[in-house]
Amino acid sequence: MQLLELWLTDFRSHESVHLECPSGLSAFVGANGMGKSNLLEAIGYLATLSSFRGVPGDALIRSGADTAVVRARVISDDREHLVEAEIVRGRPNRVLVDRQRLRRTRDLLGTLRVSVFSPDDLSLVKGSPGLRRDYLDDLAVSLHPRNDAVRSDWEKALRQRNALLKQVAGRLDDSAGLTLDVWDSKAAQAGTRLMEIRRTLIERLATSVETAYQQLSGSQQRVDLVYEPSCADDLLETLRSEREVDIRRRLTTLGPHRDELRITLDGMPSRTHCSQGEQRCLALSLRLAGHREVAREVGTAPVLLLDDVFSELDPSRCEALVRALPEGQSFLTAASGLPESVHPDRVIQVTREGLVERAGAN
Amino acid sequence: MPWVAGWATCSAGVDVATAQASAVQDLIDVFGRLPGIGPKSAQRIAYHLLKADAEESRRLAAAVVAAKERVGFCSRCFNLSETEICALCTDERRDTHVLCVVEEPRDVIAVERTREYKGRYHVLGGAIDHLQGVGPEQLKIRELLARVDAENITEVIICTNPNLEGEATALYLGRVLSVPGLTVSRIASGLPVGGDLEYADELTLGRALEGRRTVDHPAPAD
Repeated sequence: MQLLELWLTDFRSHESVHLECPSGLSAFVGANGMGKSNLLEAIGYLATLSSFRGVPGDALIRSGADTAVVRARVISDDREHLVEAEIVRGRPNRVLVDRQRLRRTRDLLGTLRVSVFSPDDLSLVKGSPGLRRDYLDDLAVSLHPRNDAVRSDWEKALRQRNALLKQVAGRLDDSAGLTLDVWDSKAAQAGTRLMEIRRTLIERLATSVETAYQQLSGSQQRVDLVYEPSCADDLLETLRSEREVDIRRRLTTLGPHRDELRITLDGMPSRTHCSQGEQRCLALSLRLAGHREVAREVGTAPVLLLDDVFSELDPSRCEALVRALPEGQSFLTAASGLPESVHPDRVIQVTREGLVERAGAN
Repeated sequence: MPWVAGWATCSAGVDVATAQASAVQDLIDVFGRLPGIGPKSAQRIAYHLLKADAEESRRLAAAVVAAKERVGFCSRCFNLSETEICALCTDERRDTHVLCVVEEPRDVIAVERTREYKGRYHVLGGAIDHLQGVGPEQLKIRELLARVDAENITEVIICTNPNLEGEATALYLGRVLSVPGLTVSRIASGLPVGGDLEYADELTLGRALEGRRTVDHPAPAD
């Protein structure tokens, strides 16, 4: 997996950018607000068709423009492809691979794979369960793109069921009861598969996360990942037995949308009992483990995007992270100089006027 | 740079609204609201009409008005019809005991094109979609049940779309149509005929595998 060349038109702060991307580690440096992270965001967009900063597509279009275009030459499965995404204000995005319009944008997934590390990852450990569910589901899709269909079927069925529960407004007649039966069965079908996918993934990740944590922290602490589904194994049975509650509360109370991934460090819950440093290290381990699993599954390492991760780490952790990062193409951003242990193959200064390759990389 | 822009970028320096008469803009807007017509096509159609004979515009306007005035829904099957009861419902050669249930009138045309089906139709007018405020009450399901009763129907074939809403509608119909003596079937979904297996997406291929059938044994030669 490698990015060869990248073009941006009206993407975020960048009116027009052309960047050749050699293999190895490239570092984007420069003052705040120059658009370093936007470059990583654009690369990430071609992989997932969403922003890893969690903003809607419209926010990616340069203010004053109507359309943003991200275009890249990539090597994927040993073949070169031209991938293009057009983001139009207020309309669905369009995606072309090798000049062919994709019938479903979902078909793009897997053409370019990235692993993103960002300072926001701390919320994977500290934040709400929804972020950990997203981490699991995103990773499941990276491993097997067809999992995306399961996830979206579940989300659609859940939305339909909730819409019906709102419409019946607390009182269920026979006809609505029958319709609810239908959505119970559709939601259970997709939801049960989603729960299986999450369970298998967590089993697979468990040792991988622990290894990553021990490498990064230099400690021998035990890391456990525990899947805590909100309901018993039989989702259909749960939806049926919770029906009265759901009708009263006008939403689906239990199901995969309420699952939790509990992470413990030496048996203690990481969300409440770990120091900020341990939490940050755990978050990095989750990302690193995901990256390694995808690399193992796909056969080539995804492109690494490290958005301002070193600023939050002490020098020894920086060094450990650099050593733990697998071979492969990587892009990183840094506002305040690079740590000593980081030796990029090239350094690109991002300024208001454009990108300038800086001679004499450290 | 060998990679020329894949899309023409809209960066005209003039304000488009002022460069165009407002009646023209109104016309473009009207076309632009039609399904399947983007801003570029809307503009092309509008300019074409303005350039062509006045007669062509008059014919178009008359055709739209006439269709809207004359065409309504068949009171039996809810397909589009110019008469109270549509031609398909009154055609005596068709099997009166079989009903094919579809979402929209255009689906009737699709099934008719197969020339495989000789029964009658029932158009629901959509699929269950609570997000759009469409529940079973908004569809012609009560009318369907009445027909099954009144017309001595022996088989109902559910031809709703193979997406989540269509499948849910099919499941719902299966439940309300569980009447003794009535066969309810769902059309199969799977691979397109004449296609290649390697080009099928995983979802379709997965469905096709689920719905597999045993191969008939050829009759032994005597």
